[in-house]
Amino acid sequence: MEKKRILIVEDETSLHESLGEFLSAEGFEVLNAYDGEVGLSMAREKMPDLVLLDIILPKKDGYEVLAEIRKSEKTKNMPVILLTNLESAEDVQKAFEKGATTYLVKSDYKMEDVVRKIKETLKK
Amino acid sequence: MKIVNDLNLKKQAEELGISVWQTPGFLFLILGAVAITVMSATFYLSQNYDSPEILVLSESAVSIVILIVGNSVIGIFEQMAKVNKLKSEFVSVASHQLRTPLSAIRWETELLLSKLKKGLSDKQVKNIESISLLSARMTRLVNDLLDVTRIDQKRLLLKKEPVNISILAEEAIAEATSLAKSRNVEIAFTPKKNLPKVIGDREKIKMVIENLVGNSIKYTTNRGKIEIKVCKKDNYIFFSIKDNGVGIPEEQQNRVFDKFFRSDNCVKYQTDGTGLGLYIAKSIVDQSGGEMWFNSVENLGSIFNFKLPVK
Repeated sequence: MEKKRILIVEDETSLHESLGEFLSAEGFEVLNAYDGEVGLSMAREKMPDLVLLDIILPKKDGYEVLAEIRKSEKTKNMPVILLTNLESAEDVQKAFEKGATTYLVKSDYKMEDVVRKIKETLKK
Repeated sequence: MKIVNDLNLKKQAEELGISVWQTPGFLFLILGAVAITVMSATFYLSQNYDSPEILVLSESAVSIVILIVGNSVIGIFEQMAKVNKLKSEFVSVASHQLRTPLSAIRWETELLLSKLKKGLSDKQVKNIESISLLSARMTRLVNDLLDVTRIDQKRLLLKKEPVNISILAEEAIAEATSLAKSRNVEIAFTPKKNLPKVIGDREKIKMVIENLVGNSIKYTTNRGKIEIKVCKKDNYIFFSIKDNGVGIPEEQQNRVFDKFFRSDNCVKYQTDGTGLGLYIAKSIVDQSGGEMWFNSVENLGSIFNFKLPVK
């Protein structure tokens, strides 16, 4: 079976490393983007199976990236999990309005739980 | 005694971090002095003069003094409100900034303990596990601080969803099992089937229950017994948790729900609390249209209760 591809859009290098390694060990292929602009263009070009998207990002924030992903015909059905440390009800609501598939607060989740959510989302 | 304390201006100024002439005590004295002067002046003037001009003049002078004092009071209030807002914003930004490195620490340790465990000695695994536990504790503290900031700014948003208190209690107890075991504490709870649901924020109400269960376990020293009950009465669901723990000293009971409050005896038994849990819990219950209260006897135990309206 072909490996599922996950794009991580996150500006914190250490989170890329730990999450990337964990996901690779779980059998995923990992793509990395460190700002919103690169993240968006990689989502368009590489067509990952799922995007893990932070909100506070350089160049383009997560909301903008998400909105653009949803705008384009090619990527509009791509599952996008927002993985962020913002956790106010306003942020969560805004994320779902922009079309987030799931919303996870980093500091409340173990990577194991994040992976479980990814698998659940990919199954749908 | 309170009046003497109120008039200790230097102490007041130090506590509030303002100068002596800005303290509420000083302004109180000024206002008192103005009132006494006005009364005696009116008496003196009405006895000695019948000219209306002098009365008008003195009245105007008094009005100006009151205006100046009033203005300074308003200024101080404004300043305090601004400082308070700044403080809340600071906590909020600082907490968000703390969360990123904290999640990184948690994830790195998780990676070490799961995917990279091979080759680690038992001692190393134990050390990494404690890093992981400590960072989880720090995360909780940061989350609590964020909640307190939101409560203070009246920005704590609660979802409105049907919530089964009996199921939440079961979940909270299951999660607390290892802590209870390590402290030799027994928890008795019979889940209630068909308990009507309340309307509230599932996650936050669970936090309330977790906090109460955690407190009962932490402040029960040995061979503890905790009894949890849920029931419906009138139009409310009642939750109660009874322990035979250290209890709360009577003279400190009126401060139990205050921010950062920790009773003297609880600090002796458990050093890692922040004194934010019950403040947050009560705010959540109040905001959900319920009530929270307790009874406690030092060295015998406590019963904490809350009720939430059925939808």
